[in-house]
Amino acid sequence: MILSSMRDVVFGYGKEPVIDQLSLDIHVGEFIGITGPNGSAKTTLLKLLLGLLKPWSGTIHMNPQLKRRNNSNIGYVPQQVASFNSGFPSTVIELVRSGCYTRLGLFRSFTAEQDAIVERSLREVGMWEYRYTRVGELSGGQKQRICIARAMAGQPQVLVLDEPTTGMDRHSREGFYNLMRHYADVHGITIIMVTHGLEELGDRLDRTITLERQESEEWQCLSTNSCNVPSGQVD
Amino acid sequence: MFEYEFMQRAFWAGGLIGVIAPILGVYLMLRRQVLMADTLSHVSLAGVALGSVMNLNPVICGFAIAMIGALLVEQLRRSYRTYSEVPVAIIMTSGLALAVVLMSLQTNLSKTFSSYLFGSIVAVSDMQLWMMAGVCVIGLLFFILLRRPLYSFTFDEETASIGGVQVRGLSFAFAILTGMTVASAMPIVGVLLVSALIVLPAALALRVSRSFTAAIIVAVITGLIGIFSGLTTSYHLNTPPGGTIALILLVFLLNGISAQKLIARYNRKRHRKETKSQHVILVNHSRRNTSHEIR
Repeated sequence: MILSSMRDVVFGYGKEPVIDQLSLDIHVGEFIGITGPNGSAKTTLLKLLLGLLKPWSGTIHMNPQLKRRNNSNIGYVPQQVASFNSGFPSTVIELVRSGCYTRLGLFRSFTAEQDAIVERSLREVGMWEYRYTRVGELSGGQKQRICIARAMAGQPQVLVLDEPTTGMDRHSREGFYNLMRHYADVHGITIIMVTHGLEELGDRLDRTITLERQESEEWQCLSTNSCNVPSGQVD
Repeated sequence: MFEYEFMQRAFWAGGLIGVIAPILGVYLMLRRQVLMADTLSHVSLAGVALGSVMNLNPVICGFAIAMIGALLVEQLRRSYRTYSEVPVAIIMTSGLALAVVLMSLQTNLSKTFSSYLFGSIVAVSDMQLWMMAGVCVIGLLFFILLRRPLYSFTFDEETASIGGVQVRGLSFAFAILTGMTVASAMPIVGVLLVSALIVLPAALALRVSRSFTAAIIVAVITGLIGIFSGLTTSYHLNTPPGGTIALILLVFLLNGISAQKLIARYNRKRHRKETKSQHVILVNHSRRNTSHEIR
């Protein structure tokens, strides 16, 4: 089943497009890695998929089942989220519990099941012992991990991660990649992840999307590990 | 002191503002918009002047113009995403310039204006008190009912937006509430010090609190104690209430920072002592083992 499909999408920040005539299909349950050099519009591609940016032309369709209930089925961890204000007055558990707010709405109170999910999310990223620590006292890697736990606490069907392993040591990264593979296999979660660590990911990914800069200075060429397509066709 | 009706009104007004302004301050500080309160107080002053010049109720005019100013700041903030402090500077200077020009058109305004600039206990009228009560109720409802989306949006607007929070609408509602709070707090603390009431309790709370809820509670308690003790001091010493309240809140903040530093130093010392004693035990233990081996 197709989760999201982009057709002939063009987008740019100035006069020149940074994404040109891109077509791409994402299937349910896939674990996709998006890679490419710095500034190759990886984050832009994610934001287009998430609807945070509107394309100049072309279409982006999300599966209607996913759009239901105000995007509550999407968990997103942005690139800079771990560098949030170190003075943010929140304990780790308070922040991770806020990941459930979308599902709970304004007034529904936390159930034992929700508390169990929060605990599981924190244990899975190895941060349960730090649950009463103030988030500002954590290291960059630890902050990144609690942001991932926060996204997971919302029980998403799709997890969109922008360079999530920044600041993590190699051991934690390996554990994290295994966890993502586990989520894709066991829970059927679709994972779209921008990463620079393709070698470390090995065969855990179902598909790789590589963004490359062409000599014409336009960011348009995409290729996958399954098939290399010269100009913006990835299906 | 409480035999005077104006003092009763001042305490009521202070109590109402002391609840809502510090909560607002916590959110403003976390959203890096602390200068918003200062800006809107200047804009509100222009509204008061406009009301006087046009023979309209200056209080209501100040209130309305502050809300319009809040909406303008929010709209401009979206245009200047990279330099978010620019719209604040634009609106602040425009508000002040307009107030100065309008003031010059009305020569009999100087006395009223000094009470707006520095705050006056006697300046709180019944109508202003009711306005403050209204703002307090609206603000509390806003912060209680929307506490979950507000938390998410204060932490990160982008993830909140993906999670279904109406970030744009919430931002505008937040800006309007800031304008309303600033305009209603002006008569008691004055234009120049209204932001002290919003920022200082929040600054202390953010330093000493470990959780978000604790930060809100500490800010409100600090704000209320600061305002009540400031009003009492101001009455007895015959000093302007705004300045007195701001100075007392500043003393609270400095004490809080000093106490926090002392506690941190004490903890560091205790930790160093514990590590040292553990080190001595380890060294003794290894020496004993070595001497056993030699024998």
